[in-house]
Amino acid sequence: MTVDQISSVADRPDAAARAGRAPAVGGSRTSMTARRHRAFYMFTSPWIIGFLLLTVTPMVYALWLSFTTFDGISPNWKYVGLGNYRELLNDPVTWDSLGRAGLFALTSVPLSIIAGLVLAVLVNRPIKARGLFRTLLYLPAVVPPVGAGLAFKLLFDQNSGASNGVLTFFGFDAVGWLADPYARYVLLMTVLWGAGNVMIISLAGLQDVPRELHEAARIDGASAWRTFRSITVPLLSPVLLFQTVTGMIASVQTIMPLLLAPLGDTSGITTVPQSNYLYMMHVFAQYFALGRYGYASALLWVLFVLILAVTGLIFKFTSGAVFYNVDPEAKK
Amino acid sequence: MTATSLQPKSLTTDARVRVRAKRLVLYTILVSVTGLFLGPFGWLILSGLKTQGELAASPVHWLPDVFQWHNFADAFHQIDFLGYARNSLVIALIYATLVTLSSAWVGFGFARLDAPGKKVLFGVLLGSMMLPQMVTLLPTYLIFAKVGMVDTYWPWVLWGLSAAPYLVFLFRQFFAGMPRELEEAAIVDGCGYATIFWRIFLPQSWPVLSASFIIAFTWTWGDYIAPQLLLSTDRTTLAVAVMTAYVNDGGTPVPELQAAASVMYVVPILLIFLIAQRGFVAGMSTSGLK
Repeated sequence: MTVDQISSVADRPDAAARAGRAPAVGGSRTSMTARRHRAFYMFTSPWIIGFLLLTVTPMVYALWLSFTTFDGISPNWKYVGLGNYRELLNDPVTWDSLGRAGLFALTSVPLSIIAGLVLAVLVNRPIKARGLFRTLLYLPAVVPPVGAGLAFKLLFDQNSGASNGVLTFFGFDAVGWLADPYARYVLLMTVLWGAGNVMIISLAGLQDVPRELHEAARIDGASAWRTFRSITVPLLSPVLLFQTVTGMIASVQTIMPLLLAPLGDTSGITTVPQSNYLYMMHVFAQYFALGRYGYASALLWVLFVLILAVTGLIFKFTSGAVFYNVDPEAKK
Repeated sequence: MTATSLQPKSLTTDARVRVRAKRLVLYTILVSVTGLFLGPFGWLILSGLKTQGELAASPVHWLPDVFQWHNFADAFHQIDFLGYARNSLVIALIYATLVTLSSAWVGFGFARLDAPGKKVLFGVLLGSMMLPQMVTLLPTYLIFAKVGMVDTYWPWVLWGLSAAPYLVFLFRQFFAGMPRELEEAAIVDGCGYATIFWRIFLPQSWPVLSASFIIAFTWTWGDYIAPQLLLSTDRTTLAVAVMTAYVNDGGTPVPELQAAASVMYVVPILLIFLIAQRGFVAGMSTSGLK
């Protein structure tokens, strides 16, 4: 504190009183630290309380349920220990749906990142109507899932969809896009349709790449591809890592298979074609169609642990490859 | 003409042709990709303008013979469209307002204050962004059912009050970049931190506030699964109604009305995005990395 500041505190009796004692420099600093600590918890408490009540509690509740046969209706549910976990390990549907979810993540995440990155590089060039291209390419990413699902359902309708219209125009046979085994490709396309999201975020990263680096590379005679591979991608690697992790998590919990399925029963689970019957659909079926809360909770916990493990592995294996240009703390 | 004078001249024309060809390829790619990206939405609009017969026709009936504009009016009346839109609006406004304020509040704490345990808490905050919401939503639904909050808007109030990690991070980044002197002078003047937050920091953060509000609004407007789980058919949102309510008495879907309705459901979000584009994009990309 400077002398001016001290005197200005002294000028205001209420301020001095609030500080707890006469504004001697040392004393007021300790109480100010204590005040800051209290204030920190006052400010963060909404999130802390919310996290405990709306995230931790449900997770713990689900963990407890996963050891029971609770179905929400029958009063004589019982504790079965690891029974549900044993059952899910022996359930071929669990493995099949998990495999499909894994395959979906392994294809949709890299493909949408590559697509988004390519788009970002294209619209980062000095071209006419650049802003318009950016806006239009990003637009699908803001379309809510319900609208996207319906649009793709109509586009890939076996009879009246535009996709089969194009196919038959060129002399091919119409394809049952929304049924097995093609439904998975439609699902993949709905993800790629939102690649504008990756584009926008990568674009922000691209614009942060120092111009001098590109110029230096050009003077050294590096090809465009070489520049992209050795400068752009490493500098974008934190963005790409973030996109990989969030993309993977989004792919695990997507409800798009439900939205693409024909309108059947209220939950729609029974009409989801086999090839789009991802792990989350298995969970839904157990939860809502069958009301097996205990078993479904076990499925959720397995998924949760798997995601933690996969995220951990991604971070571990990329820690050397991800290049952080600036220390985010030092930037302030 | 000698060979020497010809050589450089033809090279420059060559180079110019190459540049022009390159640019042509670039524009062709961009225009076709953009066309492909707009295709599904265009098809949705076209479908909303066809008759049911045209929508079921095989092979495809590319354009409607007569544009059935009345589909949009019919979609409005077949279900209580305005009622569902109002439900969506109310929920989205409740959630977006509360979560923006609470996230700003929490973000201020992480940006400007210190206490033992802050590092750990911040780690938990970042980690919770990785938590699939679906994993918590299903058991949360059971708990809400138990305490009688199903078919009320209370879940959105609670979710709003407890801040969203993603938005907290957004505000934290913004507040951390503001100069120290701002609060120091105020502390000396005897202001509490709440006053500092409310009087000094909040009024300066309109860009982030609006980005956060719009992001939260579009989340809620677009959310299908939470209202589907928590709300009954009367109180549910437009997302659920558009998805499930356009069926005739026999239970078969009425696709042309559903298409028209979903256009009306999606367009407000697109408009909000187009109007607020800058802040929205800034918000999305900040949270992405920095």
